[in-house]
Amino acid sequence: MSRLVSRDLIAGRKGFALNPLDLDLPGGSVVALIGPNGVGKTTLLKTLAGLLPPLAGTIQAGSCAYLPPPGTVGAGFTALHLVALGRAGRRVWSTGLAKADIEDARSALDRLGIINLADRPFDRLSSGQQQLVLIARLFVQDAPVCLLDEPLALLDPAHAVAVENATRQLAAEGRVVIASTHDLDFAARVDSVLTLDRDGAITAQTGPLTPETLAALFGVPVSICACCGRPICGG
Amino acid sequence: MKSHLYPLLMGLAVFLAAGTVMATGPLGVHPVDLIAALAGRGSAEAELALALRAPRLVAAIMTGAALAGAGATFQILFRNPLVAPDLLGVSSGAGLGAAVALLAGAGIAAVQGAAFVGGALAAGLTLVCAALARTGDPRLSLVLTGLVTGALASAGLGLAAVLAEPYSQLPTLTYWLLGSFSRATLTEAVLACLPAAAGASVVLWLGFRLDALSLGDEQARSLGLPAGTLRLIAVAAATLMTSAAVAVSGVVGWIGLLAPHAARRLVGEQASRLVPLSMTIGAAFALIIDRLSTAFGPAELPVGLLAAAVGAPAFLVLFILTSRRSA
Repeated sequence: MSRLVSRDLIAGRKGFALNPLDLDLPGGSVVALIGPNGVGKTTLLKTLAGLLPPLAGTIQAGSCAYLPPPGTVGAGFTALHLVALGRAGRRVWSTGLAKADIEDARSALDRLGIINLADRPFDRLSSGQQQLVLIARLFVQDAPVCLLDEPLALLDPAHAVAVENATRQLAAEGRVVIASTHDLDFAARVDSVLTLDRDGAITAQTGPLTPETLAALFGVPVSICACCGRPICGG
Repeated sequence: MKSHLYPLLMGLAVFLAAGTVMATGPLGVHPVDLIAALAGRGSAEAELALALRAPRLVAAIMTGAALAGAGATFQILFRNPLVAPDLLGVSSGAGLGAAVALLAGAGIAAVQGAAFVGGALAAGLTLVCAALARTGDPRLSLVLTGLVTGALASAGLGLAAVLAEPYSQLPTLTYWLLGSFSRATLTEAVLACLPAAAGASVVLWLGFRLDALSLGDEQARSLGLPAGTLRLIAVAAATLMTSAAVAVSGVVGWIGLLAPHAARRLVGEQASRLVPLSMTIGAAFALIIDRLSTAFGPAELPVGLLAAAVGAPAFLVLFILTSRRSA
């Protein structure tokens, strides 16, 4: 089972730092990261992924894969090749990708029900299809920690459901999965929630998200719908 | 088609094109005669034709393949279909190096060496400035500093033309700047193939790594690749190819832009297919240009002019067709 551990980790960039973070996340569950725009969710994810140097502290994890929001990755080659590139890190100095890499890429696409996209150029796919292809690449890359930046942004309901299910599959195989999101329904459905507030404080929520927590976090009044129990912001 | 068959078929295509060029035009010889001459048992005419035209063929094939391979590499690397070896100022830098050597009265070997040094210095200047200015998108800062390096080198070339002695040096300089496949001897052309081949081997080896780099450094690093190192290797290899071409043939434009575009329409964006096919198309295009340069009377037309005259409209047509298809 994978594990993501950080000790006194300070994520940030020039002129801006989050509060020190002690994390100990076991694999096998999906963690949502919520907070207002601009508080540093992306900075935190990229720091955990090793793409930004931490200002202080340590991170212990295997390799971490980072996926940017839908619509931000562009590639003119086929979806199948993009998925096979998930193995690039294991073939850094070899002559090329192995046949097995292509086969694994094919079965990852098949598994997510999008094998029909294999030979289409990635740039010609919808953002929902692209996001599924990129998640198929996470299966092929097989990093123990997957950090997804707003994986549901811009997606229609059908693709959002497909991406959410794929995210659960990633976690079900023992990986640590953290997804930043503004979709509070999604945050309410996943296994646990981290909140990042305007003061740079990162808090692990215990129990369900209350209207009070959400109101304090986002700075808008929040009520709970009487019939379905969903949070309604601004109401 | 099996992927390892590609290089073989492409090599065969270029060989056939070269044979066709040899068999037609002034001093045209029958292919059978030509093969006999290659084996050292041909007629006197065939031997003469081979001696006179083999260096040009080698120079044309090497220049076309190297510029096209470098162009394809830069286009993938910067995920920008409108860049060419001129992007990093490499062509202009190599041109300036050669011009300085010409003004100093150096022989052709020294001119070639100076072209290498100029190209490498230009690439180095571009890379160092881009590293210093690395805020935001590193791909953009590299393109911008390359533009600056190219502008400086072009200004230097203009100055060289002004300073050149008008009756002895200026014609040589001008002619070289307009590009020619006829300056190098067979030995010089073959020797210049070595660095070009080394660069090409590296670029072909990079293959899928170039595809990963085209996603941006952040994605490449997230996939577990040492993106900075690989990007540097790719730029160095493409620079080596460009310098080798400029050293032998002078400044020949458009091939590095045109060939990858044509190849992309045929095999798509994947580097392992795009780069070798670009090199083949580049070599074939250079052979056609070489054939055209002697087709209009006794005076040889500069290949740089012909490459622009044929390549620029061809590129425009390709570009419009491609844009319309993807719109």
